[in-house]
Parts: sequence; C-alpha cells; structure tokens
Amino acid sequence: MLAPGIGLIAVFILVPMALTVALAFTKWSSQTPFSTATFIGLDNFAEIFGSSSVGRDFKGALINTALYALLSIALILPLSILFGMLIHQAQLRGANILRTILFATYMVPMIAVALVFSKLYSPSEGPFNQMLGWVGIGPQPWLSSPDTALVSVVLLNVWQQVGYFTILIIAGLTQIPPSLYDAARIDGARGLNLFGFITLPLLRRTLLFSAVIALINAVQVFEPVALITQGGPVGSTNVMTYYIRRVGIERAQGGLGSAMSVTLLLALVVTVTAVFALARREPQR
Amino acid sequence: MSARDITIAPGAASPAWKALLYLLMIGIAVASAFPLAWMVLSSLKTPAEAMQTPPVWIPATPSLDAYSKVAELINVGRSFANSALIAGVTTFGILVTSLMAGYAFSKYRFRGRDALFAITIATMFLPPIVTLIPLYRLVGSLGLNASLVGVILPNLANAFGIFLMRQFIAGVPDELLEAARLDGASEMRILFQIVAPAVAPALAALALFAFVYHWNSYLWPLTVLQGNSDNYPIVISLSRLLSYNRSAVNTNLVMAGATLAVLPPLILFVFLQRFFVRTITASGMTGQ
Repeated sequence: MLAPGIGLIAVFILVPMALTVALAFTKWSSQTPFSTATFIGLDNFAEIFGSSSVGRDFKGALINTALYALLSIALILPLSILFGMLIHQAQLRGANILRTILFATYMVPMIAVALVFSKLYSPSEGPFNQMLGWVGIGPQPWLSSPDTALVSVVLLNVWQQVGYFTILIIAGLTQIPPSLYDAARIDGARGLNLFGFITLPLLRRTLLFSAVIALINAVQVFEPVALITQGGPVGSTNVMTYYIRRVGIERAQGGLGSAMSVTLLLALVVTVTAVFALARREPQR
Repeated sequence: MSARDITIAPGAASPAWKALLYLLMIGIAVASAFPLAWMVLSSLKTPAEAMQTPPVWIPATPSLDAYSKVAELINVGRSFANSALIAGVTTFGILVTSLMAGYAFSKYRFRGRDALFAITIATMFLPPIVTLIPLYRLVGSLGLNASLVGVILPNLANAFGIFLMRQFIAGVPDELLEAARLDGASEMRILFQIVAPAVAPALAALALFAFVYHWNSYLWPLTVLQGNSDNYPIVISLSRLLSYNRSAVNTNLVMAGATLAVLPPLILFVFLQRFFVRTITASGMTGQ
C-alpha cells in the first residue's frame, strides 16, 4: 500500500534532497553524471558568501527574497483576516460570491498573472498609472525602477494569493464558538475588544500556519522574475529560486547551486523554528 | 477596522455601517476581478487601441484577430494536449498513490509508522528549488530529459495528497472494513470499492487541486523540457509570445495567449469550487 507513494517520494524528493546536501561540498557540472563531482570542502560556501560577483548576487538574492517574503506576509495576513471576517462574520448578502472571486485568482497560472500585470504596470499604456492620475498621484515606474520593482512583484503575488489565505482564515473562524462572542457581549465587550480578545487569540494557530505557508510560497516566486524582469533592474528583483536555477541549471554549476539550495533551506528552517518559538513564548490569553 | 457590528447575532448592525461594509465588499470584488477583466478586454483590442495613451478600457470593435494570430505563432492545440496530458496523468497518479498511502497510514499499525508519516509531511514544506538541480540530473540519467514522462514521473505522488487522504480515511468506520474482510475481499478491493467512494468529495477536491497545480506548473517543465517545444504545455508556450511583449502594439496578442491559458483551470474551478472550500475547511489544514 505504501510502496508506490512513499517510493516515489523517496526517489524524487528525499534522494535529491540528500544529493543536494552532498553536492554542496563538491565541484560538479550539472551537465555531467554525479560521479564526476569532486569534493572541495566548504569552497562553494566561501564563494557564495565571498566578495566575488557570484557572492554579491547571491547575498542580494537572499536579501531580496527575505524582503519579498516579509512584505508578502505583512500584506497577506491582515488582508485575509479582513476579508475572512467580512465574508464569514458580517452576514452580508453575496459574501459567497466575493469568496468565489477571491479564490478564483488563486487558480490563475502565475505566468498569466505576470503577463497581465506587466501590462497593467506599463508606465504609459497601463491602467494603473492612469487610475493614479485620476486621484492626483503622479505616474509610478513600477517594474522599471530598482526602487519599486520588488514591491510591484509583491503586489501581484498578494493579488494572486490572498484568496487562498482568506479561505484558511474562514476555516479558522468557523472553529470559534459563537457562544464566546455572546458571553463577551453580555460582559459588555464591543467592537475592537471582541476582535482583540476573542477573534485574534483564537486565530493564532491558523495565522501561524498561514504565515509559514506564505513564507514557503514566497520563496518560490519565479515566473514574474524569469519572464518580465530577469532579476533587474540592477538586481532588485533577483530572488532565490531564479538565481539558484540560473547558476545550477543554466550555467550548469551544480555544486555551487546546491550550496545555495542548502543555505536557503537552512535559512528557512531557522526562520520557521524562530517563528514557532516566538509564538509559543507569547503568553496565551 | 472596527469589529463593532461584525456580529453573530443578526439585526444589531446600523444601516450606515452595513452600507459601508457592502461598499468595501464590492470594492474588494472589483479589485480582485479587475486584472482578469482587463486581460480579456485587451485581448479583444486592435493593435492601435492597445497602443493608445491613456489606455482605452473597452475596445470599440471587439475582434478575435489576436487569437488567430496567437494560433499562428504557437501550436495551441498541441500545447493544450500536452498540458492536459501532464495535468491529467499526474492527477490520476496522485489520486491512486494518495489513496493507497493514506489508507495504510490511517488504518494499518506498523513499526515506524508515525516517523515515516512525519518525514512524508516534512516534504510538503520543501520548496521545489531545493531539490531541482539533482532532480534535473537524476531524470536526465534515466534518459527522460525533454520528454513528457520526465515532466510527469517525479510528481506522481505528493505529501499533500497523502496527508489529505489520511485525514479523511480515518473517518471511515473500521467495522465497515472488517465486515468486508470477513467476506473475503482483498485489501485493494476494500480500498477502491469501499474506502474510495466513502471519501469521494475529498478525492474530487484533491483531483482539482492537483490538476490546476500541474496545469499551471512552470518551473519543472521548463527545466526538464530543455527547449523541446513539441512537448511544451501551454504555460510555457506562452513565454514564446514574450518577444512580442516588449512592444505595446502586441499587447492584445499576449493577453489573448494569457486568456487561453487561464480558461481551463478557471472553468474547472467555477464548477467544482464547493469541493475546494469544503475540503480546506475540513482537512485540518488550518493548524487546528
């Protein structure tokens, strides 16, 4: 019963995972068999954290990815709480239609999202700058300036993903017994008190889970960068998935790329562990 | 926002507050739908309209020219067939492997079960890029580079499916399985004739998740197909329109291509969304 599923996962995920770790300490071209890899100790790690151009680009990608993830989570979580409460608790007609529209964006292939937003962002022919003009805000450079490109990619990611997280929040909200709100209301709690003392604390686990998923998703951003910005302008959208693939597959520097993958994985494990530790330390209300 | 009248007891909200919430709701719906609406509208524009500054929102004479031009530039039929094959076969594989492993994890007792399950679940949180480089070589050494089999094979099982099936199969009563065993039914028969129908809604949801995910998937097919455009799924064929993306004249072309790629997953979703929502809610995917 277990053999097909676990076998496939072992061969195509666990074995490559172990290989990534092993190859990180070797010089190896990904165009040649694994047997051609030669052990070079920590040289790859020295290079990606060193001052060469690879080191510069890698550290840039690490910082960009962290920024991208942080911004995505900081926008997605509050929005999905707001949307979730609006759909689940506000008792509005048509709330289900809103839920459908929101979730539908999650079904759209990222490549299409990237293509459409590259047009929406277009400085002269795009509707975004036109709409900003209506409210008296000057045109923005969006994807074409190093100052705004990463944020622009974050925004299209938020647009695509917020519906999925809204569904997660709604699932969390359905777990909160209505009697809690009734009891609190009898005690005189209103408005923000209800939100702060009941909704938010009881959504803690859902929010924690959502933050972790949003982080893992954010690390995977690829299509808008590969297709529209190619990591630019001036490296401002150079992110991990894009850069690791570029080094490890396109330039065939498999050992170097594997060292980057291992670093990314360690960074993720440390971050997730820290988030969980922090969440546990904070007293339960 | 204030949660003053976000209330479980109906009738407490003031009309003004309620009106504000409706406005907010409509605003969110419009913002959410706008990019897709703009995509479809732009695909119907003439090249001249696509170039205008400030942009024209609604084409004066909607035309399907862009779609026929796309069909000249990329082999739409072939790309769709590749996408359907990749997503279809992968989905079928995921259903079978997830049912089997989920059944074993929830109904069998064996040494090391929980540890094995924990390792399986851990792979769910692994970003694909972390294993991409060796996987690319591994599939290459099997002689599967540039082939559809190479795209499909590594994805025939996944932790999410196994997790989901374990959650739902746990709810199937053991007495039902025991009764079938007493009647001499084989384990495979029990799985596919008793367990599978009992978890049909969750299977439907998993099928949709898997199909849409693998229809949309970009990184792996791009890597393994290595420029063999005969085997490109539609999402990768689309990138061939990119050389046209530089000039605004061709916006209608690019948007027509994007519309084509979006339609199948979106149509599937509209018809089957109730399974998605119910399954996410019921699967414990919320950390509860």
